[in-house]
Amino acid sequence: MKNLKLKKGLVALTSAALVAVFAVAIPSTASAASTCANTGFIDGAKYVAIEKCTGTDDNGSQFEIRMPAKFNGTLFVYSHGYRYNVNLPAIPVVEPKGSRVDNSAAVSPSEDVAQALLAQGFALAGAGAQRQGWNQNEGVDAAIQVMQIAKDKYAKISKVVTWGNSVGGLTAQAVAEQYPGAVDAVAPMCISDATQAVLDKANGFLWGFKQLFNPAIKGTNYSAGQAGYVEMLTDLGTVLTTLQALQAAITVNPVSPAWPATSTVPDALKAIPVRSAVLLLGLINGIPTQSNTYDASSGPAGASETTFGLVISPALAVLENGAQAAILAVMANYDAEMTYGGIVFDNSKTNYATRLGDDAVTFRAGLTGQSGITGMLSYLSALNPAAPRVTANAEAVAKMNSVYQLQGKIEVPTITISATADHIASAGAAQYLANKYEAAVSNGDAKPGKLLNIWNKPSDEYTEFSSAGAPVTPTVATNGTGHCNYTTSQILAVAKLAASAAKTGKLPSNSAVKAAIKNEPNLFVDPTITPPLLKFYQ
Amino acid sequence: MIRNKSMRRASLVSAIVATGAMVLSTLPAQAATPGVTATEIKLGISSPLTGSAGLSYGKVPGAMKAYFNYINANGGVYGRKITLISRDDKYLPTAAATQTTNLILKDNVFALVGALGTATHSKAYKAAALAKNNVPDLFINTGFSGFTDQTKYPTTFMVLPTYAMEAKVIAKAIKDNFAGQASFLIAQDDEFGTDGVAGFKTAGHTFTLAPILYPQGSMTSARAEAALTGLSAVPGKPVVVLFGTTDVTATILKAAEKLALTTKFTWYAGSVGADANTLLALGVKPTTVNGVISASFMPDAKDLTDPYVKQFADINTKYNKGITFDNYVLAAMNSAMLTVQALRAAGKDLTRAGIMSAIEAKGSTFASAGLVPLGYSATSRIGYNGYWVSQLNEKGEGKPYGGKLVIYTTDSGAGAVEVSTFVRPTMPKNGIPTNS
Repeated sequence: MKNLKLKKGLVALTSAALVAVFAVAIPSTASAASTCANTGFIDGAKYVAIEKCTGTDDNGSQFEIRMPAKFNGTLFVYSHGYRYNVNLPAIPVVEPKGSRVDNSAAVSPSEDVAQALLAQGFALAGAGAQRQGWNQNEGVDAAIQVMQIAKDKYAKISKVVTWGNSVGGLTAQAVAEQYPGAVDAVAPMCISDATQAVLDKANGFLWGFKQLFNPAIKGTNYSAGQAGYVEMLTDLGTVLTTLQALQAAITVNPVSPAWPATSTVPDALKAIPVRSAVLLLGLINGIPTQSNTYDASSGPAGASETTFGLVISPALAVLENGAQAAILAVMANYDAEMTYGGIVFDNSKTNYATRLGDDAVTFRAGLTGQSGITGMLSYLSALNPAAPRVTANAEAVAKMNSVYQLQGKIEVPTITISATADHIASAGAAQYLANKYEAAVSNGDAKPGKLLNIWNKPSDEYTEFSSAGAPVTPTVATNGTGHCNYTTSQILAVAKLAASAAKTGKLPSNSAVKAAIKNEPNLFVDPTITPPLLKFYQ
Repeated sequence: MIRNKSMRRASLVSAIVATGAMVLSTLPAQAATPGVTATEIKLGISSPLTGSAGLSYGKVPGAMKAYFNYINANGGVYGRKITLISRDDKYLPTAAATQTTNLILKDNVFALVGALGTATHSKAYKAAALAKNNVPDLFINTGFSGFTDQTKYPTTFMVLPTYAMEAKVIAKAIKDNFAGQASFLIAQDDEFGTDGVAGFKTAGHTFTLAPILYPQGSMTSARAEAALTGLSAVPGKPVVVLFGTTDVTATILKAAEKLALTTKFTWYAGSVGADANTLLALGVKPTTVNGVISASFMPDAKDLTDPYVKQFADINTKYNKGITFDNYVLAAMNSAMLTVQALRAAGKDLTRAGIMSAIEAKGSTFASAGLVPLGYSATSRIGYNGYWVSQLNEKGEGKPYGGKLVIYTTDSGAGAVEVSTFVRPTMPKNGIPTNS
């Protein structure tokens, strides 16, 4: 840990100085335990020979490096996304087979991507941080360590690209900002926002879910030790059964679904179709109104086509997305409370009417008119003792926020990709980085022309309906929705652009970007498109 | 040295001007302006072509195209032909956001015209970054007063008066003609209704009972019957103001027919909900339509004695074959005519900023079929700023209420409703603008 603190202290130095000092400051990790073996795979008609090295770094993080025999000089250092930091028993939907904490190293988003890059001569490296859960610091350290281990072992590495998914994207960006000069390009994919902003979204949804649908959910302030673990598991079960009740009600009567039996809201509020309450929770917390199944743009042919698209589809999309948001809230919030020592969610001063904003105009029909909006927001008001707000533990919040917060101090080409309907890592997180970068450039803290945001949108319409008019969940997850749900070719397009940028030190030209994504109809680039920031910032 | 440089620059400018004059007819005047070439101006519209709203509003893009094709056949605008790209948003906000973004990013249009709907367009405006892209957002078909906010919608120009203005005019009509009678309001529970409620309140009109508000898409026959049954207990011949879309007006009038209450009330349908052709097509009896009062800023589409109506009807016959000429077609062609005048007023070197400045400077003088004045200025993006009160007959024709056309003008705020002496500009010869 001492060495890590030393490394972090270097952040204040100038970039040029850092490059020189950096190599000295990072201890040689050649001594880190590693095992290497020659292996390979068939790519089309050719055999790709690689050397695969695995080991454990000085902090105990597992790492892996794959070096192709025909190396082109560029190393990709990958940071994986959020993983649970507790073992889970078999839980339907969440972990049907149960799971154990996974500390294994990951070198790319998928094996297909890994092989494609290796076949093109890129080397890959990645780690599995020694501690899972919210682990940005550990992730940064692990990435830095594996990068240095690779450099020590393979002198022919001339360029380094850091990249990652979700929290791993945040980690990759943090590596670049905290260690200027260490990397040549960055590719944060489905980049996560800061922990506080993400938990505000997930917990905000869970809090409203509890107030409106099932007060038995604990949601926050989990006990320490085994008792807290049981509380968390119990919450998962309660959330799932409540979700199932909502789903069943909407299936039976999509237009005027009944409220779940566990709800304790006044009867007057229950006069509003429960789908409106689901939609409201989504809108005030920034849950997308498009999901894997529901596009909010189509309906079954016939008389209900417009009604379905207008008022039912957006609510069902929120329910589909919100189910995972609520589960994430339970798991990730439990993790955060245990890690930081207290409640980290705070909505004691949140104005949900403000957070609804213009969506009150856009989705007024789905929200059962202004009267419906007024009724629901009144119930969720801070003045209503029946829906008590949550106040955070200031020390826990301070501890949570003590990890590095992105500054937008971008010195090397940085290419993000974010889906407009990613329900976990909102596109607004990439926009947040863009805003920070713009400010940093204005302040002279970053170089202009170094950030490119690629947006991934779903197809214009994609909801399929059965002959009976029922929506059909697709067998292949809808691109542009879901969390980090990119195709292999989309990821490779980003990777190639990043590798090219690492070589030149410049972002690819407009024509090069266009060429790279010309066969990707769901990707687009437009600097004027600005997805909304997370509600935490609004 | 400085002087010499200035002289050289002056010479260079002269040379460029001269050269420019020579090649103006062959080179794109504004190659950098999206959607504009030497021969074409690309415009876009996102509106419902399918779904329930498509039944009423589906004619709008076709009617606009018909008028543009008529203009194109007569030389276009400074030699450029107008192409209107239409995308179907089904009246769904998310689809409108998608399609409007497509119009900007994929179709590369110069400007949007005639976008339709409050919920749809408010979402689309932001999603497609119209403000950041400085995309002219011309003659939108919604009366939501929020669109007058030039900070939020800096490129938007409305064509409709605001719903608040309409409510104020209706309030005056009730006061002038039905004083002493009870009055009720059945309104869509969104910006449409809330704007209206605010307008009535500003006008000092108090309804006998609290307004009956319903979310868009939720008015059913049963709900309409329940509402009317309740209201029918009030003695006299109350005025029922219907502030919703035409399909809802039809639902309520048919409920009244079923309950034999059509003559119990004086029906006052807002301009958005009083298209006679649609009412009749949706099964409302002609005898029920007969007598319905409404507010309008346009002449009636059945009044072929009106030169604008006649001209547009003729264009419809030739360029929009098979489509019945009605108020939607009339309004759409009128907006297309306004668009052509805006393009002309912007000059040959067409730019996005230029056309918006041109409307601010000259829009209030544009020729149009509207019977009330246009209110465009540097500080106002509201189109028509008044109404006349009409009454439908069994044929669905709208005639001046009381037999005499009276034009009322007002604003969206506390300003009075005043009788106007406005006389609309003479129609350009053959309906082809020649303004500059």
